[in-house]
Amino acid sequence: MPERVDRDGTPAYRFLGVEVTRREAAFLVIGVVFLFVIPDIAGLSDSLQLSVIHQGLLFGFAAVGLNLLLRHTKLTSFGHAAFFGTGAYATAVLARYAGVQSVGLLLLGAIAAATVMAAIIGVLSLRHTGLYFALLTLAFGQLLYAIALGQSALGGSDGLPIRPGPANQPLLFGTAFSPDVYQILTYYLTVVVILIGLFVMYRITQSPFRNALDAIGQERTRARFIGLPVRRYVWAAFVISGIYGGVAGGLYAVVRQYVRPEGTLFFLRSGDILFMAILGGFRTLAGPLIGGVVLVFLQDVGQDVTQYYDFLTGVVLLILVYGFPRGIVGSLRSGGIVNTRLNELRREPSVLSSWGRTAVQSIEQKVAESLTSLRIILFGVD
Amino acid sequence: MAVTPTAALVQTLNGIQFGFILFMIASGLTVILGILDVLNLAHGELFSIGAYTAIGVFGFIIGIVGPPGGGVVGTAVFVLAVLAAVLVTAAILLPVGTLFEAVFLRQIYDRDQVYQLVLTFALLLILLDVKKVIWGDSSIRTDAVYSAINTIPTSELVGLNYPTYNVFVILVGSVVVVGLFWFFERTKTGRIIRATAIDREMATAIGVSTDRVFTLVFALGAFLAGFAGAMAVPPTSATLEMGTNPLVLSFVVIVIGGLGSLRGAFVGALLVGVIRSWMITLYPPGEIAAPFAIMALILLVKPEGLFGTWGETA
Repeated sequence: MPERVDRDGTPAYRFLGVEVTRREAAFLVIGVVFLFVIPDIAGLSDSLQLSVIHQGLLFGFAAVGLNLLLRHTKLTSFGHAAFFGTGAYATAVLARYAGVQSVGLLLLGAIAAATVMAAIIGVLSLRHTGLYFALLTLAFGQLLYAIALGQSALGGSDGLPIRPGPANQPLLFGTAFSPDVYQILTYYLTVVVILIGLFVMYRITQSPFRNALDAIGQERTRARFIGLPVRRYVWAAFVISGIYGGVAGGLYAVVRQYVRPEGTLFFLRSGDILFMAILGGFRTLAGPLIGGVVLVFLQDVGQDVTQYYDFLTGVVLLILVYGFPRGIVGSLRSGGIVNTRLNELRREPSVLSSWGRTAVQSIEQKVAESLTSLRIILFGVD
Repeated sequence: MAVTPTAALVQTLNGIQFGFILFMIASGLTVILGILDVLNLAHGELFSIGAYTAIGVFGFIIGIVGPPGGGVVGTAVFVLAVLAAVLVTAAILLPVGTLFEAVFLRQIYDRDQVYQLVLTFALLLILLDVKKVIWGDSSIRTDAVYSAINTIPTSELVGLNYPTYNVFVILVGSVVVVGLFWFFERTKTGRIIRATAIDREMATAIGVSTDRVFTLVFALGAFLAGFAGAMAVPPTSATLEMGTNPLVLSFVVIVIGGLGSLRGAFVGALLVGVIRSWMITLYPPGEIAAPFAIMALILLVKPEGLFGTWGETA
């Protein structure tokens, strides 16, 4: 049962090792309830599709894994689609060539494959930090993409269907369901997996292991001096984050019942996963998940509205970089930019016009600066 | 399958040609990386903009003058078209590069590296749709325009049947290589750029405007990407996705050579180009995987790449 503890002066509750204040508990409950009622809400509106949100959650879940590296060890993996794709393809191969029907077994296969893949790629790329690491992970991801594209056994660019057995779909609890029910059941399965995943991630980020990773992220040499096995710890974090990607990929394959290299392994997917983490706020636990839903939703809506949806995503990312570097969740949190601004506005509404002036002025200044630079480049003089 | 010496030679030449194109892309990327410490993910898009521009210019000139045939006139038309294409590419990409650096990148040098990745990725996405607006989303065939070029005989003089266009690319590539090394080793601007790369603060202290150097370098890198695109496109068709593969391959090249090293980029590019080309005859499925295999191998033996680093990024 929940036990009352004191956290920095605010009363908090501890349950299963999770410490939350009353405010956080409220958010948590709302979040979980929201996750569970999404299929019902999605039924009410045409523009809100369950499959879109579902896909966003899955990619976002991979981003939660990536976030472990990004947030604590300061390593930017640009090839996380490799694990997503490995999970998805492992599922597809098991279903097609081994005839595995049970969703649970398929997911276990995905986890095993992603673990092995993360272990290998980790050993090869974790000698490096910074841009080298980003480049290496990207190159390995693209290598897997090339393999999936080139091997006829993996279906080439057409991909592989996941339709084992006579029921033509993976079995949940040993039973085949009608497509509608299957969609909703796999959604709830995803929600459960996500909640477990977030819980595990929370425990990891409350543990000494996280402190070690933080130390490594701040200064590797010092971390080694105080006796931390740096390489081994970072490698463990890399494998854990890879497993998250693999689970997400396996679920994606089970849900969509089809995997293609383009949708799972391509380097733009790696980019998506990385940007979900940043969009949602990579200094937060659930931020990447929210970033995932928002980004996929944005792309989907964009696809309906205009054929230039990449442009739309690009502009959103630009706004994010310059306006809200802490991401959605990070900006909304107390002390975040949105919160601070709202408080200012509540105290003194006339501040709005001065914001507008500042914005216009800074844009004017930037344009003038860039015109000067252009002149210098073209004519060599100021 | 027996490989005749001629076939081997042709494959090697193909590899060298591809290597030179790779070098032109990777040199821009590596210079930006070595000096600005930014990995420009939009580099592949700049490359493809160069390609599209070149096709447009070629098509336009050939539409006026007629296709380049054999003989002196044909060669002249061709050289003229290439010159015009390069000029137009420069006219488009230098300002684009300048704007990117001055407007977007300059604001975030002091932030976490990941924001630079997000930013250049956002630019990639935006350029992708800009291309879609300008050139449409279907691919553009180019062989009709370029096949005539190959009727100009060059390699037949030495008894080898090899496409003239490839010979031309190798020549232009060599000029670019020599030109770049000359620029960075011998000119004052080149020395200033290198000084900025090695020690930013010291360069500022002796009166170098790092802002201008950065802008110049980014514009130069953007132009090199576009120039590579203009040179690379002929044998194939131009598609919206054409930026991806060169981008990833040039990542491989600069990792092999050592981040920020121009010499490394040159060696890496030729290595990747030639081995990839040999794979096409020896073991076709290995073509895509070969560059990555070389990369992994070199990193296992020499983790910092063949030539280490050039700038201050140790």
